[in-house]
Amino acid sequence: MIEINSLTKRFGKITALNQLNLNVKKGELLGLIGPNGAGKTTAIRIISCILHPDQGQVLVGGYDVFKNPLEIKSMIGYLPEEPNLYERFKAYDLLKYFGELYGVPKDILYPRIDELLELVGMSSRAQHKINTFSKGLRQRIGIARALIHDPEIIIFDEPTMGLDPATAITIRDFIGSMKGEKTIILCTHYMDEADSLSDRVAILNQGRILDMGTPKQLKSKIHGDLILKIDLNGSEKFLVDDFNSIKSLKGTENVFLNGKELNISLKSKEDISDIIEHLNSNIMAVNTKEPNLEDVFIQKVSNFQDE
Amino acid sequence: MRYWTISKWELKNTLQSRKFLLIFFFQLTVLVMMVFFFNGFMANIESQEGVGLTPSLNEFASLDVDDPQGIFKKNLNPEILKIGLANNDSSQSLKQGKLNGLLLVQNTSASINYLSPLQSEILIDYSDPKRSVVRDEVILASNKTASIISQQMIDKIIPNSENINEPQIQEQTTGESLPMQLIKKIMTAILLFLPLFLFGNLVVDSIVGEKERKTGEILIAMPISRSYIILGKSLAVIMTMAIQVALWIIIMLVAGFSLGNPLLVYLIVIISAVPIVGITTIVAAYAKNFKEAGIGITFAYIGIVGFLIVPALAYIAQQGNNISFSTMTLVIKIFSGESLRWGDIIIPMIFILIISIFSYGSAIWLFKKDEIVFGPRPGIVKLFMDFIGITTIIRKIKGF
Repeated sequence: MIEINSLTKRFGKITALNQLNLNVKKGELLGLIGPNGAGKTTAIRIISCILHPDQGQVLVGGYDVFKNPLEIKSMIGYLPEEPNLYERFKAYDLLKYFGELYGVPKDILYPRIDELLELVGMSSRAQHKINTFSKGLRQRIGIARALIHDPEIIIFDEPTMGLDPATAITIRDFIGSMKGEKTIILCTHYMDEADSLSDRVAILNQGRILDMGTPKQLKSKIHGDLILKIDLNGSEKFLVDDFNSIKSLKGTENVFLNGKELNISLKSKEDISDIIEHLNSNIMAVNTKEPNLEDVFIQKVSNFQDE
Repeated sequence: MRYWTISKWELKNTLQSRKFLLIFFFQLTVLVMMVFFFNGFMANIESQEGVGLTPSLNEFASLDVDDPQGIFKKNLNPEILKIGLANNDSSQSLKQGKLNGLLLVQNTSASINYLSPLQSEILIDYSDPKRSVVRDEVILASNKTASIISQQMIDKIIPNSENINEPQIQEQTTGESLPMQLIKKIMTAILLFLPLFLFGNLVVDSIVGEKERKTGEILIAMPISRSYIILGKSLAVIMTMAIQVALWIIIMLVAGFSLGNPLLVYLIVIISAVPIVGITTIVAAYAKNFKEAGIGITFAYIGIVGFLIVPALAYIAQQGNNISFSTMTLVIKIFSGESLRWGDIIIPMIFILIISIFSYGSAIWLFKKDEIVFGPRPGIVKLFMDFIGITTIIRKIKGF
């Protein structure tokens, strides 16, 4: 459904996307994760024809972003990171305005507005002005706006960022309910969100895809049944020394130092005692857990930075 | 025609905005007041007395007069001089600065009978700054009095002198003096063009506002080209101006202004709005925020006003048959009832077309640039290099 080949985008001297390759299948929900400035927003803006690529090829539903931007825009529902809506509009009028801009016929548009307002739980606020809404309510209206033309592809950029947990869960459930019906790209900082919702996850850093696969596939690349997390004490020199010494120990698959936190992938619990004995008095706290997407993310990004 | 959707909603939102309506009707109120005072001013300037542009000199100085016959006294200007009867205290008052002058006139009837010079004496304090006014007024009255006495003498010598046919000059005027043309026609034209400069904030709000409020991102994500976004928003502002200009013309017609052909004048003013909005759109497309846009528009409007008014003034001053680029000149020609030649209409219209194409083309070109809308915004020099294609050549040379 979406095919990106060797996509490059520069802003002045900054290269936001560097020879990016990515594909999204029809009906798939692709999670796009990466640190700040990784190029996630730039990538989805190019897919949505908001930005123009400098180089490369982007095909959406068979259309080229260079040649057929209007056709592509008609296929996409885009929800930006900030739910910046026209403050002076009433919720109903806002949906009507965007419906008209998408060219939705009136006989379809008006029932669709009612349906969407119902879906996002905003029917009772339809005649209220946007400037009276909280961020959560704006996000709901933003979602309704993005879906007003019943798009084939939906792109969410940090849809739950800054929302209270209850609203975030509502929105996640809503995104989850569309899985399989729509092709969805979900940009997020929340690993749990990407893990639970995505069919596949792409890890992006410095304008490149570091890895891509199902959450299960990515987690399996951690090489271990469990992860030992050790909070260390001491100066930077001691931390580096500990880090290097642990890498040489038997049974440790992958070792990463994240600030003062040492992450070690282990094959069995039996190796824990050797590690604790080795680090001795430098340990402040010890925890074990199963590998998750966050560990994969940290590992991939750390590896990339080391290179 | 989705750009019409943008125009329709922009216009709807504008006309529904209480703040805008307040400004809109405030503008109309100011116009009514301007028209009222302008009409009063014109009525004065066209009267015999004219209009006094200097401060009032009413009873500016005081003068006591001893004129037994009163022939001198009645020729003094009572609006400037506070005239009193001379008495024993007058000299003392003059010395004390309570009085600005003392005029002593001899018995005029005796002078006339013996054909001897009329003697009068004016006493003024040389340290008094008002003395010159008193002296000038007395000299003026003296000249008038002399004329009257001369006429009386002629009457005695030639009793039927009234029947002598004096050469009579009857003044018949056509046209208007240059100052009158400047005031009436230029002022009327300025009043008509004024609304075109009162809605720059709407352009700024609809374009810069999209950037500042970050709503531009979702608008650009719509299946509508950026050209149509710019054109749609500009059309909404031009429509707002059209409503305001129509109301202004109605008010001016009701107030008795002569506009020649009001419908033609209206069309020309509205056509003039197109490049003005276009130039405002360039500023708005480039500006990062409202403050920058405000400064840019101030500069742009100074240039546009100069371009409109200077050729109009030159046309009136030279009274030539020169064809002007300025539509204000064209409007003034219509006010004057001049028969228009094709060139009078075609040349300003071609000029408007060129400026419009250039301004909207530039604004669209700017708005299509990602770095203008989303930043980091390039400087004017780099943009100019982009515009003329130098950047593309450099990129090709560098190989990317």
